[in-house]
Amino acid sequence: MLRPWFRQCPRATRSLACPQCRPSPRPQEAMRALNALPSSSLSPPIRSLQTSAPESQDHIPLRKQLKQDAKAVKARKRQTRENEQTSRDKWELTVGIEIHAQLNTESKLFSRAPTSSTDLPNTNVALFDLAYPGAQPEFQIATLLPALRAAIALNCDVQPVSKFDRKHYFYHDQPAGYQITQYYAEPFARNGYVDLFTHDGIAPEDGDTIRIGIKQVQMEQDTAKSQEYPPSMHVLDFNRVSHPLVEIITMPDIHSPATAAACVRKIQAILQSCNAVTTGMELGGLRADVNVSIRQRGDATGTHHYGGVGGLGQRTEIKNLSSFKSVEDAIIAEKNRQIAVLESGGVVEGETRGWTIGTTETRRLRGKEGEVDYRYMPDPDLPPLYIGEDLVSELRSTMPTSPDALLKLLAGSEYKLPIEDAKPLVELDDGARLEYYQDVVDLLRELQQDQDPQAQKGLARVAGNWVLHELGGLLTKADLAWDVQRVPAQTLAALLDQLQRKRITGPTARQVLAMVFEGDSRAIPQLLEEEKLILQPLSREEYIALAEAAIELNPQMVEQIRQKNQLGKLGWFVGQMMRMGEKGRVEAQKADGILRELILEGRS
Amino acid sequence: MSLLREAERCIANQGTHATLNAFITTRQHSGPWLQRVRDAETRRTQGTSKSAVDGRLIAIKDNICTRDLPTTCASNALDEFASPFNATVVEQLENAGAVVTGKTNLDEFGMGSHSVHSRFGPVKSLRRDRNEESLSAGGSSGGSAVAVATTQCHAALGTDTGGSVRLPAAYTGTVGFKPSYGLISRWGVVAYANSLDTVGIMGRDVSSVNDIFGVLNRPDLRDPTSLSSFTRSRIDANLRTPALASRATSPLKIGVPIEYNISELSPSVLCAWSRSLAYMRRQGHSIHPVSLPTTKLALSAYYVLAPAEASSNLARYDGVRYGNSISDASPGDYIYASTRGVGFGSEVKRRILLGAFSLSADAMENYFIQAQRIRRLVQHDFDTVFRACQPLAFGSAVKNMDSEKNGIDVLICPTAPSPPPRISSFMGNETVTSHPHAYMNDVFTVPASLAGLPAISIPVTVDSFVDSGDVALAGIQIIGQYGDDRLVLKVAEQLDGKRL
Repeated sequence: MLRPWFRQCPRATRSLACPQCRPSPRPQEAMRALNALPSSSLSPPIRSLQTSAPESQDHIPLRKQLKQDAKAVKARKRQTRENEQTSRDKWELTVGIEIHAQLNTESKLFSRAPTSSTDLPNTNVALFDLAYPGAQPEFQIATLLPALRAAIALNCDVQPVSKFDRKHYFYHDQPAGYQITQYYAEPFARNGYVDLFTHDGIAPEDGDTIRIGIKQVQMEQDTAKSQEYPPSMHVLDFNRVSHPLVEIITMPDIHSPATAAACVRKIQAILQSCNAVTTGMELGGLRADVNVSIRQRGDATGTHHYGGVGGLGQRTEIKNLSSFKSVEDAIIAEKNRQIAVLESGGVVEGETRGWTIGTTETRRLRGKEGEVDYRYMPDPDLPPLYIGEDLVSELRSTMPTSPDALLKLLAGSEYKLPIEDAKPLVELDDGARLEYYQDVVDLLRELQQDQDPQAQKGLARVAGNWVLHELGGLLTKADLAWDVQRVPAQTLAALLDQLQRKRITGPTARQVLAMVFEGDSRAIPQLLEEEKLILQPLSREEYIALAEAAIELNPQMVEQIRQKNQLGKLGWFVGQMMRMGEKGRVEAQKADGILRELILEGRS
Repeated sequence: MSLLREAERCIANQGTHATLNAFITTRQHSGPWLQRVRDAETRRTQGTSKSAVDGRLIAIKDNICTRDLPTTCASNALDEFASPFNATVVEQLENAGAVVTGKTNLDEFGMGSHSVHSRFGPVKSLRRDRNEESLSAGGSSGGSAVAVATTQCHAALGTDTGGSVRLPAAYTGTVGFKPSYGLISRWGVVAYANSLDTVGIMGRDVSSVNDIFGVLNRPDLRDPTSLSSFTRSRIDANLRTPALASRATSPLKIGVPIEYNISELSPSVLCAWSRSLAYMRRQGHSIHPVSLPTTKLALSAYYVLAPAEASSNLARYDGVRYGNSISDASPGDYIYASTRGVGFGSEVKRRILLGAFSLSADAMENYFIQAQRIRRLVQHDFDTVFRACQPLAFGSAVKNMDSEKNGIDVLICPTAPSPPPRISSFMGNETVTSHPHAYMNDVFTVPASLAGLPAISIPVTVDSFVDSGDVALAGIQIIGQYGDDRLVLKVAEQLDGKRL
């Protein structure tokens, strides 16, 4: 039984692989433990680590040690990759996800109490939310709107009739002893899908794009917030109780951990883009449960089926994952655990498991015999929900553009952004960054109307670079959240206009952006004027003088360029020239041209 | 009699009959309520009464929430619970000038047929048998029934889930009316089985019941199952169609469900039933035997459905937010296991367990779902025999000509198969025993509950039945089509208090 454990426990292997951070006797013991195992059961990564262990006992120079360590890490990664590949060739992973997301609504699902989560604990509660005797639910129709937007954005068929059920279990964060949900009878939306692309971070083996089916979307109540103060105190805040949630259940269409994480990330982005939810996973507004099973490739004799997909292996459910990384890590760990169980002749039990951030294994919460029987029952107080086609088509026609459509637009001929720039623009700051970007592009295009059409085509890309990387870099460095007023769109557009007209150099533009960022509120032309930043181009002679000075100081590098054709080193000279020349006047392109003339044309 | 005299007499009776245990909580003998009766008296002399119940003392079953009196549901779990709000029916009565005089005893959470499963002790009826043995007051609204029967109040509210107003009315010789489901608001009525729970009205005669019904028969947005104004006017429009409107003046067709003539029917009840039918025929109405074949299954369906809903509704009594809490749990225990163990009485526990079982994954299909199917069949049985159509049923607004011509207007049948049993028959050594046989009392009341139909129990006295010189009192039940409450009350008025 140790074998599967060792294999999955990177911590054990880490302590072996990282010689400088462990007390010396321990690994010896670990080694003995490993050696005591039948040799056939030793998995390759451990064997390779074994060889590196004795070396660590000697005194070796730090640099050498670092190199060795880096090599070991690489080797381990390669080995893991190979192992993953081997197990992937043999075992097929199947994952289905259930996502719970808090809807963006003013009131709770069945009372008029507000949903605000920042108020004092236990202030936003109605009688029904606390399950007072005699209190009855009052379905808040407005909560249906964000739920419908979510369903439409996930390409679901909205059901004309749906019903509410009670799902029973006892827990002190559940005032009524049951949660009102739509699971058992009829959810309000079914048969949707979400498309994932390479840039969404799907696993390479899934190709360029994969479609994950959405089995259903249902409305339900959230629970209260519970805090435990051991040994015997629980503190309850009922403000969250009965906050409207949607539960989104995917089909078991996912076959890799990375794709599972990408799917959750994508669904969150879709929900946010249509304003269906308030916050994402990072703030607890979104939680995921994953169902994991494995089967041997080509073997469709499994007796389990889920969501209409048959021939699957026994699945386990991992509850309450609260980050994208934990979705991925928990699935990897659970997949490895199940493979280990099956390869050692065991049987995977249908059970509920938990995952704690920072661990490497899922842990059993309860088995089938301990499984809660939810005793689903139609709620006798709540009539069926009838949703008219007119409402659905009205909402459909007013839906904001989907993230995928935006990406397509940004990467298309109008903006020509690289996909890796387009993606953060769409995702950052709940769309505020994209809006800002659009403003900058519009203003800049207007300012540049008189310029040659060829140059105009590149404006969107230039603006993208500055909004995302230059301005983004300043924000990151200052550790500040996005603020549209910090550098008004007009200012950035004016600055980029000057840059495009070559009235300032790139470094100058960067410098000015930083000044504005720090609070300089002068108009760009005035600022450039007063700070004397407008480019006064150097003459050819001045460039030659600068270049010659730089060359003179580093003759051996010139030789390297000339003889070994190490053209990359030209850039270094450009940098030297910019440093030596008057600030903001040396243009990199021109400097490069002169350097080429002097260094390359002089050889032969 | 003046309102004040009547009120004082009720208060005096509350003292005299305190041992009957009809009330859990009563008002102080004097208090602001007295002034409200005086004010009503003044209004009456000026001809400006707020309503027919202005200044009347009304008793409220203790599973209906009141802000200024505790609401215990006769349960340990809530024995000191004070609701932060008034039930809609309480508001409506007070707005109409009525005075809530106290909260009446009941079977815990309404679960029982004899008002003996109470944390405050059993309700006792004044009625005794030949051997001076105490008889059951019926349940679960036994406290309300006894309070009315002994004039401790003008009238009372009860709740009727499977017969809990009609059965005690039959056993105490009072009138008990369960209106159509959805007419009277349930906001503030502590749920036992929501899909069946109905606020019922108890009085000494049909007209006082009618008065209160007039006050309570209103839509309430806080109760999602309360009929909207729109639906109410649709129902009224249906009743105004010529075929149905003519019933006001022409003789009625009275149905006699043959399945209710069971072998267990006691002679006195059978006699009261047949003499009532004979009386109605003398009034010019015609009597028609009809068949309600699903009747036999109705009782078992009820005892699957009601406990299932109860097990769900009572899950909230965990002592965390209100109610009693027993905190002897050791860490790792469920903090509310003891709370619920001590909080609930034996009958409530029995029904919670039954309900939890019938909803469990393995049993659901065989019990809960089957029982729901039977409920549909029971409804269908009634729809087949009534002349009026079920106005809420989709697409059945146009009834076939056959039933329109041959259908009956109301059903008349006994409320219970036997006279009230002795309390001693189910009170063992200080513990209350219960067995499936105890559920038999509900056999005639449950079908109307499952179908949500208006039904009333009225007292009928028969002299010298079956060759004996005995006088017997029995409850006779009148059942109408859904929404046909006025007709049911009208027929009841004709039979009310008759000595036959």
